[in-house]
Amino acid sequence: MTSEEPSGNSLLLRFPRRIWSYVLGGLRTVRRVRGPAAQDLVGRFVLLVPAFAGSALIILILAFLWYEATPIFLDPQGGPSILVQPIWDPNRDLFGIAVFIVGSFVCTFLAIAMAVPLGVGAAVFLSEFCPLRIRTSIRMIVEMMAAIPSIVYGLWAYVVMVPWIRDSFAPAVQSNPLTSWMPWFQGSTNGLSVLAGSTILAIMLLPTVVAVSDDALQSVPRTYREASLALGATKTETARKIVVSAAIPGIGAAIVLSLGRAVGETMAVLMVTGNSLQIPYSLFDPTYVMTSIITNQLGYAFVFPLWRSALFAVALVLLLMSISFTIIAKWFVRWGMKTRGLV
Amino acid sequence: MGNEDQRSGVGCDQMVRDHASATSDEVSETPPSTPEQPEIEGKRRLLLWVKAQLLVRTRRELKDLLLKIVFAVAMLIVVLPFFLVVVHLAIVGLGGLTLDFFTTLPGPSLAGGIRNALVGTILLVLVAGGVGIPLSVLGAVYINEYSRPGRIRNLVEFASDVLAGIPSIVIGAFGFAFVVVFLGVGMGLVSGGLTLAFMMIPTVLRTTQEALRQVPVSLREASLALGATKWTTTWRVTIRAAFPGIMTGVLLSIGRVMGETAPLIFTSGNSLGVPTSIVGPASWVASLPYTIWAYVSDPRPYLQVKAHSTALALLIIVLAVDVVANYVSRKVTRRLV
Repeated sequence: MTSEEPSGNSLLLRFPRRIWSYVLGGLRTVRRVRGPAAQDLVGRFVLLVPAFAGSALIILILAFLWYEATPIFLDPQGGPSILVQPIWDPNRDLFGIAVFIVGSFVCTFLAIAMAVPLGVGAAVFLSEFCPLRIRTSIRMIVEMMAAIPSIVYGLWAYVVMVPWIRDSFAPAVQSNPLTSWMPWFQGSTNGLSVLAGSTILAIMLLPTVVAVSDDALQSVPRTYREASLALGATKTETARKIVVSAAIPGIGAAIVLSLGRAVGETMAVLMVTGNSLQIPYSLFDPTYVMTSIITNQLGYAFVFPLWRSALFAVALVLLLMSISFTIIAKWFVRWGMKTRGLV
Repeated sequence: MGNEDQRSGVGCDQMVRDHASATSDEVSETPPSTPEQPEIEGKRRLLLWVKAQLLVRTRRELKDLLLKIVFAVAMLIVVLPFFLVVVHLAIVGLGGLTLDFFTTLPGPSLAGGIRNALVGTILLVLVAGGVGIPLSVLGAVYINEYSRPGRIRNLVEFASDVLAGIPSIVIGAFGFAFVVVFLGVGMGLVSGGLTLAFMMIPTVLRTTQEALRQVPVSLREASLALGATKWTTTWRVTIRAAFPGIMTGVLLSIGRVMGETAPLIFTSGNSLGVPTSIVGPASWVASLPYTIWAYVSDPRPYLQVKAHSTALALLIIVLAVDVVANYVSRKVTRRLV
């Protein structure tokens, strides 16, 4: 009967008709079921909504930050080159955000350089040499350290560490002939510095590094250790050459995860890095990081479209960085599991 | 003799001879059927253990000992800041922690207590939990009970991992752009609570999922075999078995959200009183972390002390929530094993 229909039309119709039959079939099923079965079916579809809340939220966040950041990328004053321009002066319509990116990276890099060796060493001690009783209590302290709010760490760093750097540490290293020549100890300081920021950042990263590395070390099979000990290796040789190298993917994931946390950390860094628009050349120089500029200026910038948009561009950069760190960490774990034959 | 026997190396027989007397003493006191050493010789065993650790005969053993000391020192350095922070806060802030401090509103020139912040934090956590907990628990139930392992499950898990990694200030900026401006809610309790709820979702979702995964399949199968529907099984059997695990996740995320400052700066506003309405300027709400920040930034010296007291109060609340969460999770693991 329908053979005279043009084929294109039927192609167009075929697909919706299939969906339509699905919907009808579904409706018929819904009408047929009664009582508990209906409850089951409805519940199943209701649960779909919260399941995708997280994904929807991420898309929403990306969309909104993108929407808010477009003006600065389209404006002749800004454009994509703001990512590499170092001068930030909203009064002259100069919105280079490179200074914040550099500041964030310097702080993060120093913090990672401090936190990772310490944290991995502590995790090795915890996992390989520690008696069980001490181990449980130290794990608990480490968990508590992770739970301390960043504002509390910031308060401590601002009140204790910053004066200590100003009054004790800086004079000590600058008057000591062994260290005073070093380029990274130059310049006068009021304590608010890259050093203070990255130290408090390292302290905040340590719990993550220790906990994740400890889990990774614990998941190394016991037989590896026994084989190494049976070959006559000492306990530290076993720990360093067998256990740590088997746990490298987990430790790598810990490092990448803490990178993400370090870049995104706000309050503590804001309070102690001095918030000065300059690229730091010495440990005692103040700097400005990405999170601080958003926190400090979004309130005022709200009524200036270009300024606000530049701040949202900073937020977008932060967001993309954190997403890529998460992806890298996941990839790291998967690669490690594959190469080490654990899955 | 547990630890020291695992040492190997050139002079092992020497060590065995060292301990032969001690071991034979202990064995003679205990019935040979129990392999474990009795606790009565604890002090002596500790002494022997320390001696065995410090015994160095070869270069490799020296290196072993030195590296062990290095690792132990790293551990000490890691936990040191915790005690430094707690002791410092206690020294400066403990004097201010009176009952009045919690029950009075800050008066003129901010003399007075932190009742506004305390009530504000509780209200914000209630709003955030009211929105965030059902969303994430139901989402976890869907992906763990209803979806098959595959693309959908991976997508949801990936999304919550990404969400967990997003910096808090970015969530704050988003809350400002979306909830406050775009949805037109305005600053206040609702915006702040919603923004905090965004931060709760990943933690609760992942821990709930973990708790659901630990419920044995046999429980579900038993319920299904009795003729219960999937829905009934999920709510009456699976969730009930996983409840302590879910509680742990909820408590941990509440503890984390309570200390967040950055998401609240642009969304909750600040006030010296308790919020009196749901929307509008009357719903502006203070919170403990924001109050700490405001007091620290203030040059007046007595506010510095108040900041320390507030921080100490926040620290105590957060750590208490954390300890309770740990206690709950230990109970559940003990019950399941």
